[in-house]
Amino acid sequence: MGRPEATARPRLGVAKFASCDGCQLQVLNLEDALLAIAERIDIVEFPEATTHRSSGPYDVLLIEGAISTQEQEEHVHKLRRESKLLVTIGACATAGGIQALRNWANHDEFRATVYARPEWIESHAMSRPVADFVKVDAELVGCPISQSQLVELVTALLTGRRPYLPDEALCLACKRKGTVCVTVAKGIPCLGEVTRTGCGVLCPSYDRGCYGCFGPREQANAKSLAGHFLLEGIPDIEVGRLFAGFTAYNEPFRTAVTELGGTRGATPDAAWAEAAAALHRGGHDAG
Amino acid sequence: MSDAPDTAARPADEASLVAALNSTWFGANLPPDTQVRLGRLARRYQAPAGTVLLAEGELANELGVVVSGRVSLRTLVPEQGMITILTVEPGDIFGQSAVVPPYRATSSCVALQPVDVIALDGPGLRAALASDCELAAALYPRVLQALARRLSATRLQMLDLFASRQGGKW
Amino acid sequence: MVATSTTIGFLPRADLQGLIDLLRQDGRTLLGPTVADGAIVYDEIEGVADLPAGWGSEQSPGRFRLQERGGERLFDYAVPPTTWKRFVFPPEMPLSVATRNEDGTLTLGPAKREIPKLAFLGVRACELAALGIEDRVFLAGPYTDEDFRARRNASIVVAVQCAEPASTCFCTSMGTGPGIRSGHDISLIELDEGFLVTAGSPVGSAIMEQLPLGTPTADHLSAASDQLVAAREKIGDPVEARGLHDRLLAKLDSPRWAEVAERCTACGNCTQSCPTCFCTTTVYQSDLDGVATSTERLWESCFNEGFGKVAGGNFRYRFQDRYRQWLTHKFATWFDQFGTSGCVGCGRCITWCPVGIDVREELNAIAPPSGAVLTLPEIKPVPPPRPGIFTIASKREETPDTTTLVLTKPGGMDWEDVRGEFVMVSLPGIGSVPISVSQRTPEGMVLTIRNAGPATTAITSLDAGAQLAVSGPMGVDWEGPLELAHGKDIVVVAGGLGLPPVRPVIDTVMNDRDKFGAFRLYYGARTPSDLLYKEELAAWSARGDMEVAVTVDRADATWLGRVGIVTYLFDQASWDGSKVIAFLCGPERMIQASCNVLQAHGVTPDRIFISMERHMQCGIGLCGHCQMGKFFVCKDGPVFSLAQLGDTFGREGI
Repeated sequence: MGRPEATARPRLGVAKFASCDGCQLQVLNLEDALLAIAERIDIVEFPEATTHRSSGPYDVLLIEGAISTQEQEEHVHKLRRESKLLVTIGACATAGGIQALRNWANHDEFRATVYARPEWIESHAMSRPVADFVKVDAELVGCPISQSQLVELVTALLTGRRPYLPDEALCLACKRKGTVCVTVAKGIPCLGEVTRTGCGVLCPSYDRGCYGCFGPREQANAKSLAGHFLLEGIPDIEVGRLFAGFTAYNEPFRTAVTELGGTRGATPDAAWAEAAAALHRGGHDAG
Repeated sequence: MSDAPDTAARPADEASLVAALNSTWFGANLPPDTQVRLGRLARRYQAPAGTVLLAEGELANELGVVVSGRVSLRTLVPEQGMITILTVEPGDIFGQSAVVPPYRATSSCVALQPVDVIALDGPGLRAALASDCELAAALYPRVLQALARRLSATRLQMLDLFASRQGGKW
Repeated sequence: MVATSTTIGFLPRADLQGLIDLLRQDGRTLLGPTVADGAIVYDEIEGVADLPAGWGSEQSPGRFRLQERGGERLFDYAVPPTTWKRFVFPPEMPLSVATRNEDGTLTLGPAKREIPKLAFLGVRACELAALGIEDRVFLAGPYTDEDFRARRNASIVVAVQCAEPASTCFCTSMGTGPGIRSGHDISLIELDEGFLVTAGSPVGSAIMEQLPLGTPTADHLSAASDQLVAAREKIGDPVEARGLHDRLLAKLDSPRWAEVAERCTACGNCTQSCPTCFCTTTVYQSDLDGVATSTERLWESCFNEGFGKVAGGNFRYRFQDRYRQWLTHKFATWFDQFGTSGCVGCGRCITWCPVGIDVREELNAIAPPSGAVLTLPEIKPVPPPRPGIFTIASKREETPDTTTLVLTKPGGMDWEDVRGEFVMVSLPGIGSVPISVSQRTPEGMVLTIRNAGPATTAITSLDAGAQLAVSGPMGVDWEGPLELAHGKDIVVVAGGLGLPPVRPVIDTVMNDRDKFGAFRLYYGARTPSDLLYKEELAAWSARGDMEVAVTVDRADATWLGRVGIVTYLFDQASWDGSKVIAFLCGPERMIQASCNVLQAHGVTPDRIFISMERHMQCGIGLCGHCQMGKFFVCKDGPVFSLAQLGDTFGREGI
């Protein structure tokens, strides 16, 4: 193996769409580790870090941000053509972000409320993940992404191995760490069971419930969790709101939000809520 | 019929025909009078390797029982050329479209090796099957078995079990 | 007083600190219960003040609440979320380090680990039983976990008998408590005035001798007895455990599995809270250049996606299959594997399941005979094999995605009396994969590897001269079935990448041809360019003393051989199956089809031998991933007879 030659360094670019830049900031937050990476990869385009502009082709392109406008939609197709490996980073790029909450709302109304001249604002009615438009080769989820997972992905790309980005519930990390479950011991609603691990148990370590910023895990059973919260006495709209977070637009969070009226002005579907609660009613020890 | 196999068909020597039929799993141990009736509908021919015994789409005038040699079933995939989807070994049949409407060959049958074939006349066999219940009772199960065997093979081939399944980059 | 195993001493409450001080001598860390984070956890204890005086626990499915009881009693809570398991079987543990040098050579080493001296205060009867179960899993073999042994040996166990069980406890049904029997160094029974102390080992006796113990009074003894009886009565007998193993395994098709799966979120909390679950996963790490590499072992759960995943798919995709795996393993196949139940009735999986699934309810009332132990065949446990460094002497590309590597080792390999079907091949920093040994040579071995993922691709991309770490061989190989085959006819059915693993059978027969009867090889591949060992196939065919029949799934017009499925090669054959021993390897669906045809030919299941595949990660039966019903494919297999597999074979999600 050994170090790659200077002439053979992969070209890496970072592109941004509708996002807060937090994931790009995570790349910068690597600090010294970023320098080590920059010795092995040519970072040719990185708006957060440098005014130097470049263009493709890219061996690896990191994309932050959701697709929210027509211009972005066209641009992402161009970027796809120029990239060997396209990696989406963060909740916006992988799930549409918090701004995807507008996907349940009246877009024109939003524009009119926020902007003095709504007619000057061109945007799609929905904020959507990049994968809805182009083929994505890999993704780093999270809001923001985890620095250690970022380094893991880069290391795997450089050395040729499969990156360790487990698709398992956050609960595994809590238990390995020895954190006491906030839901079981304190009745604090936590989405950890249906959320993908990777954050290092940030929220439960500080006595709050996970709010799903790493997105739904493999085959997440959101309906069961929703039913449990309902039986605990949390009103349906509030349960819906639990799922209406940074990754609300990905299934199965999306359906939970829709059916439970998790967004402003929406009406919960009583039948769905009842079916979810009924899953546990038979064997559930109320209280 | 394109590229007709040895059309200098010898008059069927019934006894040796029946013996040859008996040596195949398709035709083995048929009731004696069935064998005789089939013998009258049969001719036997040999063909060199490379002979197109039946072309895809053309009327299948004969149901062939392979006594020896290998026959390939091929179909045209324009971007890839002729693809062999199955080979028919001694004992097995080809051209069963001769007894299944609309009586057109569903693939091309090409001899891969020199072949020795007992060919049952299509129209004659169809007429005999329609009128002769004992013949029908003896033969249709065999045809069904040959097709069922082929169907289960097709299913396994379709599953592409030996394919390497790498989804995505990792 | 001089302590013997039957001596009971009385330690006044005020003197408990003395026991704590003794346990903390010589730099030993004392771990015990303390209140934290809304629960009770096991953490470092320096004094009596750290213990949860006056606290109890209220537990029910999906719910744990601390109860303020007041008073001085220290141990009136039922089991906390923490298990002692995490101190002898760490959740995250460095395993090995390795350096990939620039010249392609490897330097291997174990990771530095410290084994701390520990003492556990407050170990309940169920937890003692759990430690005993872990002893069997990790130390009874065939491979042992020496790190676990070292940590166990470095810990002193001070047990405490339960007085206040929770509503989730069912140790009575599982035969593990609440009375303490064995496994402890010291055992305490808390009374209002103090503690009854007994020793369970020489270490315990030595400690007891240093304590200012008095003689217990008759009142003390009867209070203790009453406490135990009350605890037992409070728990009752919630699970009918007699016959649980057989009854559970008879219900693999119960509709209940799908019903519980609608509730289950596969979060893994049950497995992580359980004091006996032992499945782990290995993570490969390196620096950016892939030069300094390491591996780490993490707690894993059979509820995770990666658990049943192999290159061809996932054997346990549905949550209902994962739940069934967990429950049947814990309560049934654990008996087959280790001779006891895997469950100790501590109830943690009930309390800490966030949606409140209760295993007792799910088990539908069963029970194993209390304390029953099945007799397992004598196994001599050995430490895990250490990897050896092998060099790639030469490579041969069999097909665009499959490569044969000839590996050699300085000094060669002594294969005499060495059994094993596969080796674990590791490229540090990249990964570790199980590969069947195709050929044993005096210099080393020959492996044929397909590019199925990043690790295999990296391995096959190495140049001659590069080094690999190889451990093993391990697993049940073909030698037993081959001995059965002396004087009999042999049929080998191989499909796709199934030919390399079954090659040793062919070589053994060819080298000793007279010992065996008719030999027939039936081999199928996807297309002619995917055929492996083309030269060898021609050579075997040319010998004249074996039948070689090859087919492909499809071909273009240049192929003059057979096209069709593997079973076509022998479904119309006329050989007599009553004298045949069959050896099969390939995709499971192909094996199923072949077994049907073989049986139709009169080959009985006890004479059909199959090499099975599951997700083998550690290769030595300790990480749990490769389980298939009650079998560990890596150590009970990978070669099984069809009779042995029974209805485990061909069942979805097993």
